Amino acid sequence: MSSTTLSGTSPWLAGMREAIPLLGGYIPVAISFGLIAVQASFSVWEAVLISVFIYAGASQFLFVAMVASGAPLWLVVVMTLLINARHMVYGPNLAPWLPANRWWPWLMHGLTDQIFALAHSRLPQLAPAERVGWYTGAALLAWFSWIAGTALGAVAGRELTQRWPLLGEVMPFALPALFLVLLAPRFDSRPWAIALGATTLIALLLTLNGWPNAAIPLAAACGALLFQALNSTRTGGKRHG
Amino acid sequence: MDSALWIAMLAAALGTLLMRLLPMLWMQRHLARRQDNSLEAMPAWLSVLGPSMIAAMFGVSLVPASLTLSSWLATACGVLLTLYVWHRTRSLGWPVFAGVAMYGAVKLLAGLAG
Repeated sequence: MSSTTLSGTSPWLAGMREAIPLLGGYIPVAISFGLIAVQASFSVWEAVLISVFIYAGASQFLFVAMVASGAPLWLVVVMTLLINARHMVYGPNLAPWLPANRWWPWLMHGLTDQIFALAHSRLPQLAPAERVGWYTGAALLAWFSWIAGTALGAVAGRELTQRWPLLGEVMPFALPALFLVLLAPRFDSRPWAIALGATTLIALLLTLNGWPNAAIPLAAACGALLFQALNSTRTGGKRHG
Repeated sequence: MDSALWIAMLAAALGTLLMRLLPMLWMQRHLARRQDNSLEAMPAWLSVLGPSMIAAMFGVSLVPASLTLSSWLATACGVLLTLYVWHRTRSLGWPVFAGVAMYGAVKLLAGLAG
């Protein structure tokens, strides 16, 4: 893939600017998390520190819910890590575009689902010298928005959700819209279009049937298998044709 | 939080960081050993799994918080407008902005009509 530069813009600022659409999804969910954590008897500071250190949406909700229900702490940790296990495939997928830099071990803390999706699409288009700055800007903006949203939710979540209930429902649509924009260029190839369409449908159906956490790894595995099958059929057909 | 809960929180945080970090370091070493920093040097299944994960996240995030007809209608309209604006602009921000605005407009109209 050809590299493009950011035409004079600071990579940090470009990363932050391109991560802005993520905020529509992050802030309302973080506000919900802050509110739920406080309702589960965590203090404002504890809720904020959970967002600072764990920084993984679904598993944070599970963490506070299990602690509040009195579950054994070892089980809380195991379940939190199980939910986050999908993150294991993100780093290797980005590795070809990550130039050597001693900050990566710390920057990987910011590798959430959404930052992965954004970086997977954008890093290959950037010049190698711009990638660390771009990633840092995008990841830091997302992290700070998550922390700020948690604090806001813990302090004033109830008032906010009562005053603007529609806003909390509308803003999270930024996430599917962003994922769609990141996926759209892949749909010019038939095997990709079929595999990604099927993956989306499977994930949607699993979520509707009450499996939101298993939906991502399961649907992705199905989609990857389908793509490989379509590709091998196509290359097999060409070989025999 | 008592000390046991702090330890549990830090264990979950450290485990999550290591799951994000170690596979990346492993792949960087793998690529360095092969002296080939390209997609071809990656295992094929892994390069397919990346876009599949994004598609799966898309599918999960499509499900609205309230499963009502107006939410599904807003989702469909939002998706269509996002695609249209992306097709016209090939940019990142405007399609997302347009999609969210459409989603909000449909929800607002449905609320007024209901």
